[in-house]
Amino acid sequence: MKNILELIKRLHVFLIFLVLQVFALILVFQNMFYHHASMVNSGSDIIGNIYSKRAKLAEYLRLGEIADELSLQNSLLRMQLSVNYIQADTNFRIVSDSLKKQRYRYLTAKVVNNSLNRETNYITLDKGYSSGVSNQMGVISGGSIVGYVTNVSEDFAVVMPVLHRSFRTSVLMKNSTDLGLLSWQTGDPEHANIDDIPKHVHVQIGDTVLTSGFSGYFPPLISVGYVTEVIDNADENKYHITIRLSTQFRKLNYVELVENILLPQQEALEQQAMEANGTDNP
Amino acid sequence: MALTILKHTLRILFLILLQCLVVNKMQLLDGLILPWIYIFGILMLPFETPRWLMLFICFGIGLCMDYFTSLIGLHTSACLFLGFIQPLVQKFLAPREGYEITQRPTVQSMGLSWYLAYAFILTFLHHTWLLYLEIFRFSAFFNTLLHVLLSSVATLILMTIGQYLIYKPKSYEL
Repeated sequence: MKNILELIKRLHVFLIFLVLQVFALILVFQNMFYHHASMVNSGSDIIGNIYSKRAKLAEYLRLGEIADELSLQNSLLRMQLSVNYIQADTNFRIVSDSLKKQRYRYLTAKVVNNSLNRETNYITLDKGYSSGVSNQMGVISGGSIVGYVTNVSEDFAVVMPVLHRSFRTSVLMKNSTDLGLLSWQTGDPEHANIDDIPKHVHVQIGDTVLTSGFSGYFPPLISVGYVTEVIDNADENKYHITIRLSTQFRKLNYVELVENILLPQQEALEQQAMEANGTDNP
Repeated sequence: MALTILKHTLRILFLILLQCLVVNKMQLLDGLILPWIYIFGILMLPFETPRWLMLFICFGIGLCMDYFTSLIGLHTSACLFLGFIQPLVQKFLAPREGYEITQRPTVQSMGLSWYLAYAFILTFLHHTWLLYLEIFRFSAFFNTLLHVLLSSVATLILMTIGQYLIYKPKSYEL
């Protein structure tokens, strides 16, 4: 007994180190491999407030650039005004009926914090559940893909962008309408990968890549990027494709949150079908 | 004594805020160079700090940093490692007669070459632990090594400039 106490006394620094280090490593590995990082805290209110103050200051310094962006968007929107169009066929009139049902709902938010250089990047937005943001909402910016919401607090939301090693979403090659899975292994904020396009598909450099809408988070045909490199390994039956992302993550400022109103209904039906057929795969 | 504690606490808080609000936004060579200057607060702790206290201070600083960044536990783990090896490196670099009670781990007190060796070894080890743990695969081994080296040098340069900004040269203290 005395010897054990003596030993503990001699090794107490190392033991403290070991206990704390094991605790820290458990936290790291718990958070590293899951989509829904349980303790992503830059969305928590104190840190969120500090970051939004900093973002305000930084925003002030580039107001000119923001004004340019907004005026460009204004002009695009103005072009869509109904006064710019003549009615082609007077026999039709729009009746508020059940033919059309709203599927996607949009909400704008401002980026208060944004990381680019890590393996696991996150974006913090200045809207939380008090403004109607919920988990799993898609995030787009100027018509191109950004990511989806993973954590929400009262006034802030944390987004997992394309630039995160756990990010996956279904995409579509515009020319061939073949489906692929978008992931990010390049470590570079301007490029991402698509690894499961089979070789019988004709892929060219410069081909446009769009969202497929199958993931349920993003509306279909949102711009993702274009192909910059196609690697064709002889011993594999799939291409390794690198694409250039159309979103400029460095300049992200205002984003739109997309809510798929029909998603719960779709998921419930798919779940029901799976249970009825006794399979795990839809 | 109380003044020393206050001074170190304020310095550490200032460095954490500086790191998170200013330095993390520096974009050099596509993020290849990202100095982690908050460890300056740990390197400047006096020689006679008890080792257990050192570990708890580092644990606290690491948790603060993790609260600001995304992957919880990452900085805590790297800081703990730093807190554990710092006294060992100090012992390794000690002059033959040991450290005197008035000496501090600064350029002004220990000389430039001692300081550079001390700060570089610790910065390099800390950055190695941090970046390899973050990436957690060896496929990008050399790329990460380059990242570690360049970031360590950047941190070292910033910390050395910081030394001359914070501490008055010896002649003024007389």
